[in-house]
Amino acid sequence: MWNTRSSAAVVFACLVAMPVVAGAQEDGLAFFETNIRPLFARQCQACHSTAAGMGGLRIDSRENLIKGGTRGPAVVPGKPSESLLMSAVMQSGSLKMPPSGKLKDGDIALIGRWIEMGAPWGAPAETSAKVSPAKYWAFVPPVAAKAPAVQNVSWVQSPIDAFVLSALEKKGLKPAPPADKRTLIRRATFDLTGLPPTPEELKAFLADNSPDAFAKVVDRLLASPHYGERWARHWLDVARYADSNGLDENLVYRNAWRYRDYVIGAFNKDKPYDQFVKEQLAGDLLPASDDATRFEHWTATGFLSLGAKMLAEDDPVKMQMDIVDEQIDTTSRAFMGLTFGCARCHDHKFDPIPTADYYSMAGIFLSSKSMENYNVVATWHEFVLAPEEQRRKLKEHLDLITAKGKEIGTLSDRENKTLAKEGRSKIGRYLPASLDALHYESIELRPVHTTGVAPTLQRTSESFERGNVNRKLAKGSANTPEKSKGPYFAEYDVTVPAGGRLQLDVLEQETGSGTADIHINGVMERAGQGAVTNREASPDAGGWSVAGVYELKAGTNVIRLEHKNRYPYFEAFTLTPFSGTEAPKSIQQVARQYGVNPGYLVQWVEEMRRAKGAPHSVLLPLFVYDQKKTLRGDALAGWTSAAIERFRGYEPASREDLAARYQQLFDEAGKAWDDLEAKRIAASNGETKKVERNAVKQDEGLPDPVLEAFREVSHAKAGPFRAPGDAKHYYPQSAQDEIAKLEKEKKALEDTTPDLPKAMGVQEGDKITNAKINIRGSHWTLGEEMPRRFLRVVAGENQIPVPDTQSGRLQLAEWLTRPDHPLTSRVMTNRLWRWHFGRGIVPSTDNFGRLGEMPTNQPLLDWLAVTFLDKKWSIKDMHRLIMLSSTYRMGSNYDEKAAEVDPENTLLWRANRQRLEAEEIRDAVTAVTGEIDMTPGGTLLTYKDRAYVANTSKRGANDYDNPRRAVYLPVVRSSLYEMFQAFDLPDPTTPNGDRNSTVIAPQALFMMNSTLMLKSTRNMAKKLLDRGDFDDGARIRDAWERALSRAPSAGEVDRSQTFIAQVEKAMEDKEKDPAARRLFAWESFCKALLASNEFIYLD
Amino acid sequence: MNRHWNSYLNRTLSRRELLRVSSAGFGSLALAGLLGEQQLRAAAVAGANPLAVKEPHFPARAKRVIFLFMHGGPSQVDTFDYKPLLIRDHGKPLPFARPKVVSGQTFNLLKSPWEFKQHGQSGMWVSSLFPQIAQRVDDICFVKSMWGSNSRHGGALLEIHTGSDTFVRPSWGSWVTYGLGSENQNMPGYVTICPTQSHGGANNFSSGFLPAPYAGTPIGSVGIKARDAKLPYITNTETPKDIQRMELDFTQELNREELRRTGHDAALEGRIESFELAFRMQAEAPDLQDVNGESEATKKLYGLDKPITEDFGRQCLMARRLSEKGVRFVQVSHTYKWDQHSDLLRDHAQNAKEVDQPIAGLLADLKARGLLKDTLVVWGGEFGRTPTAEGSDGRDHNPEAFTYFLAGGGVKPGLEWGATDDYGYYSVVNKVHFHDLHATILYLLGLDHKRLTYRYAGRDFRLTDVHGEVVNGIVA
Repeated sequence: MWNTRSSAAVVFACLVAMPVVAGAQEDGLAFFETNIRPLFARQCQACHSTAAGMGGLRIDSRENLIKGGTRGPAVVPGKPSESLLMSAVMQSGSLKMPPSGKLKDGDIALIGRWIEMGAPWGAPAETSAKVSPAKYWAFVPPVAAKAPAVQNVSWVQSPIDAFVLSALEKKGLKPAPPADKRTLIRRATFDLTGLPPTPEELKAFLADNSPDAFAKVVDRLLASPHYGERWARHWLDVARYADSNGLDENLVYRNAWRYRDYVIGAFNKDKPYDQFVKEQLAGDLLPASDDATRFEHWTATGFLSLGAKMLAEDDPVKMQMDIVDEQIDTTSRAFMGLTFGCARCHDHKFDPIPTADYYSMAGIFLSSKSMENYNVVATWHEFVLAPEEQRRKLKEHLDLITAKGKEIGTLSDRENKTLAKEGRSKIGRYLPASLDALHYESIELRPVHTTGVAPTLQRTSESFERGNVNRKLAKGSANTPEKSKGPYFAEYDVTVPAGGRLQLDVLEQETGSGTADIHINGVMERAGQGAVTNREASPDAGGWSVAGVYELKAGTNVIRLEHKNRYPYFEAFTLTPFSGTEAPKSIQQVARQYGVNPGYLVQWVEEMRRAKGAPHSVLLPLFVYDQKKTLRGDALAGWTSAAIERFRGYEPASREDLAARYQQLFDEAGKAWDDLEAKRIAASNGETKKVERNAVKQDEGLPDPVLEAFREVSHAKAGPFRAPGDAKHYYPQSAQDEIAKLEKEKKALEDTTPDLPKAMGVQEGDKITNAKINIRGSHWTLGEEMPRRFLRVVAGENQIPVPDTQSGRLQLAEWLTRPDHPLTSRVMTNRLWRWHFGRGIVPSTDNFGRLGEMPTNQPLLDWLAVTFLDKKWSIKDMHRLIMLSSTYRMGSNYDEKAAEVDPENTLLWRANRQRLEAEEIRDAVTAVTGEIDMTPGGTLLTYKDRAYVANTSKRGANDYDNPRRAVYLPVVRSSLYEMFQAFDLPDPTTPNGDRNSTVIAPQALFMMNSTLMLKSTRNMAKKLLDRGDFDDGARIRDAWERALSRAPSAGEVDRSQTFIAQVEKAMEDKEKDPAARRLFAWESFCKALLASNEFIYLD
Repeated sequence: MNRHWNSYLNRTLSRRELLRVSSAGFGSLALAGLLGEQQLRAAAVAGANPLAVKEPHFPARAKRVIFLFMHGGPSQVDTFDYKPLLIRDHGKPLPFARPKVVSGQTFNLLKSPWEFKQHGQSGMWVSSLFPQIAQRVDDICFVKSMWGSNSRHGGALLEIHTGSDTFVRPSWGSWVTYGLGSENQNMPGYVTICPTQSHGGANNFSSGFLPAPYAGTPIGSVGIKARDAKLPYITNTETPKDIQRMELDFTQELNREELRRTGHDAALEGRIESFELAFRMQAEAPDLQDVNGESEATKKLYGLDKPITEDFGRQCLMARRLSEKGVRFVQVSHTYKWDQHSDLLRDHAQNAKEVDQPIAGLLADLKARGLLKDTLVVWGGEFGRTPTAEGSDGRDHNPEAFTYFLAGGGVKPGLEWGATDDYGYYSVVNKVHFHDLHATILYLLGLDHKRLTYRYAGRDFRLTDVHGEVVNGIVA
């Protein structure tokens, strides 16, 4: 059966690998590429891709197939029937392949056809580029070339310009003229801080005619704390930052924000990038002279921790491997621009990333501690950011809580066992009791109101004589005074002229959270129904319902309705003499009658219901006897169970007699089981084997199938003697007191747990281990163990082994930041370029592999990468270098000729017009309208750590309705802020160095209708109108300058004034108050201005 | 048995088919088509309309999809998968091994508390839970042999919606919209009514790495009554329509002015158009949601006249209205109600009551309007349930076997496909994984699941990853 869990997503890459071939062989090669190569990749390569492949066979080239493995040639071209491969897949001989199950008939036919065609083979995928993998450009360390010579020498301000201009000139292109000063400061201010320039900043720059005026602006912006807020956001995209888990169980990452603030701080401090990398991967292993540094380093490792993960996965090993996979994928993409993910299941089809290297890296993360456990729902690890003394105390405190919990558990287990033992000794009573209860259930009573009989007595719910609940009851409410404690009750004194059986009916009784218990004259006669768990599916009961028949005495009786922790709504109740022949009894009444535990009795009724109609059930004779009053003759015909033997020829004198017989049989089975258990425990030296979580173990039962059938009922884990929900209630008083005391102590400890600051993060694991290859990505089929080491195509075959006592994260970080690492500096400088210009030199910022895009100007990229090292990994230095170039300062002027040669502007003949990103749009709106709150850092989340955030839709508006900078708004995975989503915030579950800028209608709807826009523009209008020193013209000019960083033309001022007047007029019949009309019109003007393209596109 | 390899050939592919597959034309054509395909379908660049109608790969049988999602995992053995042996062996232990990974512990076999009967010309078995759907079985194709890879709600929800139970990927509705565009330019191409917020939440209808226009647009969410559900930012209670039009005219004037200054720019032009579209959408979307104009008979057909069916009925009616107006993919969710670990008897009955009439009504209505022939209706949950008992009146999660049903849109009506074992624990005959279902639905829509790809982070992705086989047997 084909039942392996296809746990890992596998790279689907074969499709694009199809080489176009021409000529006579075309048929065969195309056939191979379409049908055979994918099949081999899917079915065979996991085991047959290396020389050490199974059976010595490699299925990676025609030659190897013909050469074959230890069993001889696998393929004889042209002769399917002589090919071993054929008989293996047909499974007609001793060798049956693939081992996981037979191929589809169609696939077998295709292989046959292909061999018949002569086994044509296309270009081998991995070596399709003729150079060796190590020579691929991205794996060769960058070398800074000399700046090329250019014609237009005066344009060159820095080597960057020379590289760019040289490429342009080769195509006969010229760079666009420089942008004007207004455009430039707007561009630079958004670029570095994500905010528009203020009118004052604009004025100052325009007035500064010194040659280094722009350099001063760049320095000012780089020194601003808002620089970090903007550039951290770029990195947060790469770090797939979010404040919640977001996959299956969406739990709050309450402390993720510390990582976010760490990143903001790192950019503001200009933390050297190599240090930044090391802290994020191995901060816990770096030296720290003081606690502040140590905490910063710990916080940095949040990078590895805050990915999306399945926290409810039944298979803990799969969960762990999925988390490790996410870490590998993020780390390799973020720092190296490589996609390792595919190598989980098979060697990367295009890049030299073999599965072996994937599991080498997996070992590093397996040896690190990201999680506290892999339970359903799992718990991630957090660092406590407090001095060691406090951390130690906290741990002691938590250990105490755990110990208390265990103590309570042990005590309850013991009491439950005692209870069950006692219960089993009364099976003879439970059987008739549950039969009676079943019978009573079948008696249907109708509320007297439906029968036309007038009730003797009617009381409204609020007419109670005594009680501690609200006098007036409400639906769906607890109906109890605030801060009071249960149980809650209301007592009614009812006087009936004559004693006897009376039917109690209740009107409009609420059932959602359970009904109340009924006590008559101090005796609990009926337990309330449990809460309805699926409330939405079960609307509250309506109308009259019967609440039982009770024996009342003549004169005054007390009816007490009681609920443990809340009190259900009802309108009224009535009492009427019972007119039927047989009155049903409640479980409590039956239990009392037989002297058994009502909790178990409920479960016995369930068991009876289940056993009824099960022909093999050991309880069948009981039903038969109940119905036929005999077991003789053909009464037992249709029996299928072995248990029949123990009743053969037996005729009970009465039901009680039969019940006693059952008691004997259950006792016999119980005794045999106890003996067997004792033997087992003795055999295992007193240790009971721990059953693996969720791994189903078919318990070995008693050897005698008859006794086993009885034992299955009396000892079943979910059987009638399992601990009932209210088991505690039946413990001896001393045990109840003891548990109550322990629980109180536990609660007190929990309440006094010190609330110390925490950060998500990763530290060294409890066990250092290598990973074994998971064949085809499945941890059920393990292959060779791989030493912890780094990508061999870069790091080579001879690597210094990672010590047995360390995970290897520190070594990984050090390797990545070696000056000769070919990828780290290139990938980061390319990111910086992308974030400045809107497109990377390598446009696929997160993939430098063969399936990524080639650099559009590799000499430039390499020069930047080497310069980054020269500048000691200073990002701020790179900003200066880039922004002071002529390239950065070009205008966005359109040029028809250039557009024809280079329509995508890949060579940068002009500045790219860029749409503001989601956060910039929001910040621009709140900044321009004066709403913005520039408080730095901290969290806006109102949830407790690890709380569920399933319902952000309801709370979302409140969460996001905050004028803080957008970078501080919560990022709730799978429930993103709608505005962020509409404006292309990348999916925060995968690393992303590039953002889309789509144009879709929901963005327009946001600009037109959102509360944020309406509220902000109203405030902006108010502020404008409040300016007593302005006339309308000045107001319009001010709005224009703030929103678009430029003065409006005379025509634009005119047009604006006309528009405002038009709206005021149109509002005449809708709004009486002229001041309100005026405000409305100015709001409309502000709205229209902020909706314009010029507001959200940056030239 | 030693069969000749050609016997496989004869059974599965005709010689002519094989020649077609292997012809030079096909191979190179597919390749040539591929690059074009990427560009064509990824035309979500600024300016170009990403929702423009696109040609399918081959003639489509269905034009649109309505997915009726039963969140929680309805029980196959209590609904459509009739298992006489489960009734016979009720209370006995399961006679074979359970899967390696299970959600929790279950005990002996538990027969369905509902009676099964055969219905219609086709004689399909349906339990007494669905008396109304039972009347429509001759329009329905039951896939009895579904299976998935994940036994938890979160993973399983993501798998049915995105094809991956591990990573966040584009939703199938997004893939469909990406592949075919939308026939109504005033509405999003993919709408999901009252979707879940849990178990992956928006990941179940997000476009993942596909461009944003292909994301599912939620109307309301779980917990919001269908009558109150709205598209995000669709209403403005402060600005009268005529004033809003004036504002828009002013904005557009500024925009056109700027465009004259800057010269041709697809993004700027696209944004001008997007505001007009948004304005039209404001007018059309609330109208599509408003079912008041429907006849009393229609409202009754969907159960709007009864409190128990009103909410889901309204969702189904809304789905028909959206489909009718060309929305490509509509999902209706009966959210997280079907998870009966206990109280199976009470809650499955209640759930079924809530959806039976609305679903039967939807099928009848689509048929009467001639829409069923090119609208594919898909019904199902994230997994099935165990035929073994959890407690005494419950069933646990079971991804190994469950039933989906499809109707209209080019599937064979009155057909039963695949089968489970004697007790309904495992799918055994003609197994259909979620990947296969996805491949088949794309196929019905005229899309080849292997060709519908999108390049992201340097590699090509598809809905079915490296899996998926079209279930040809159910295609009419």
